Amino acid sequence: MNVTRAGLKKYRQAATYSLAAALILAVTLYLALPVVSLFFRTTPDLFFTSLADPGVSSALWLSLFTTTVSLATVVVVGTPFAYFHSRTTYPGKMLVDTLIDLPLVMPPAVAGVALLVLYGRTGLIGRYLNVFGISLAFTTTAVIMAQIFVASPFYLRQAKSLFEQLDPAYEQTARTLGASPLRTFLRVTIPLTGSGLIAGAVMTFGRALGEFGATIMFAGNLPGVTQTMPLAVYEGMEGNFNAGLTISILLVIISFGIMIAVRLVAREGGFRA
Amino acid sequence: MKQELKNDRIITGCIAVGLIIMAVLLAGCTSSTPAQPPAQTPAPVAEVTTIPVPQETTVALLSAAATVPLTTTSTPAPVFTASPGNLIVFTAASLTGASPAIGSSFTAAYPGHKVAFNLDGTQALKTQVESGAYADIFISASNSYTNTLKNEGYFINSTVHPLTTNYLIVILPAGNPGNIQSLADLAKPGVKIDMEAKEVPAGTVTIQTIGNLANTTYGNEWQTALFKNVVSYETSEPAVATKVSLGEVDAGFVYESTFTAAPKNTLMAIAIPKPQNVLQAYTIGVLKESTNQAVATEFEQFMLSPAGQQVLTNYGFRPVS
Repeated sequence: MNVTRAGLKKYRQAATYSLAAALILAVTLYLALPVVSLFFRTTPDLFFTSLADPGVSSALWLSLFTTTVSLATVVVVGTPFAYFHSRTTYPGKMLVDTLIDLPLVMPPAVAGVALLVLYGRTGLIGRYLNVFGISLAFTTTAVIMAQIFVASPFYLRQAKSLFEQLDPAYEQTARTLGASPLRTFLRVTIPLTGSGLIAGAVMTFGRALGEFGATIMFAGNLPGVTQTMPLAVYEGMEGNFNAGLTISILLVIISFGIMIAVRLVAREGGFRA
Repeated sequence: MKQELKNDRIITGCIAVGLIIMAVLLAGCTSSTPAQPPAQTPAPVAEVTTIPVPQETTVALLSAAATVPLTTTSTPAPVFTASPGNLIVFTAASLTGASPAIGSSFTAAYPGHKVAFNLDGTQALKTQVESGAYADIFISASNSYTNTLKNEGYFINSTVHPLTTNYLIVILPAGNPGNIQSLADLAKPGVKIDMEAKEVPAGTVTIQTIGNLANTTYGNEWQTALFKNVVSYETSEPAVATKVSLGEVDAGFVYESTFTAAPKNTLMAIAIPKPQNVLQAYTIGVLKESTNQAVATEFEQFMLSPAGQQVLTNYGFRPVS
């Protein structure tokens, strides 16, 4: 009797493990196979030929340029914003919290329409800027604005929660030892939250790199000026399939690099991305 | 330890329930229930009694409701299923304005038959069909894409016919913010021009037409300056019309029909002389994959009939000469 009970338990354990293995395999394959198949569709020859295509290289450089500027803006403006926001209470703080998250749940195409009706030439603000000869829509600036709008919440959320979790005792100690507020922020707060901030910044970079909907609505689709890599993939699918494929592969490689960077940074600093 | 055991039981319980559900779903074979080791003789009997339950419910559904589309042919089908009388028509985006009128007049002429339009640039629709999208009818704004699909074997070639034609026109926002008085003004510095990407049929003829205008009248410098003024290449023709009517650009190249069908006082236009203008030819055809070729053919005949052609004329298209 005892023997059969033990046997039954073993049987159950085996069933659990095999189910777990099947689940893990299925989920992994489902997520990885489409990405892997991109690489099977091309040859190194074809890849490097279309990499030399001026449309492909201009999209690559434009994407890297705009995402770098977007990221720098988000970090420079977002870090002090998140710090003050998390360390102070003010009326409407809850509302600000909600508004920060809004771009995360909003379809990017809606973001593009919204930016156009605000900053466009006939837009709410745009019509006054137009008087001064400032035109934002359909420029590289518009690409950057769209990227900041959709991607900044990733960094802001991360920075906010890091500053909220940080024990103020560290900063207070530094202050009692005579450090100025700025020195305290730069020498205590930033080093303690640094790796988490970098992880947030990398996610923002990734989201900005993949931005499509808001860009095509607000910035348009002009090679070399506003045609970023995702837009070039879209147009490639309608004509030059190999160019679309090459850019897709480049984006996969860059995204993969980003994920590895996040992992390394997160592990080093003990934070989870 | 106790907790662990409990968890184990919950997991195995879940697995067992899952397997039982799968077994019921795969009903038909009365064998094996592997998750239940204490299988005694009553088991098969118990299974036999459980199987008729789902069968009964499906039978009940079939007889009671007219909403099951797959096997019932006599009852009218709901709107959302691909079924008799319900056509899926892949349609060049420049027919966006006309499509509701086409749909309603077809339904009026053939009661019980409906059409759903998938509207996008012909180049995008072609990619979708090549990637396995289902459609009964393909209305193309480009002879070259039609021929590609014909050569690739997607069309029933005998059903492919010229449908209508369209000339290009330059549209301006109502207030004419760029102060454009002639085609020559399109090359003025600072003018913002929107047009379709070269893969879009309207973009292909726009580039040809600009080339013709440069060769005959305005010269190469005009052409270079004009293309420098382009701020965006849209992926479909209506997107150009939208950006012009919003006043975000000063001028755009679209089809005549788009200008004709636009709401009054939203757009102005500058005509392009016929000798340099490239006449775009639209085609219609039934796809081989259509499971509903009889109705698809009816739709095509309607579109080629005087009634169907009248709808297109109302929306500014020109008949095939």
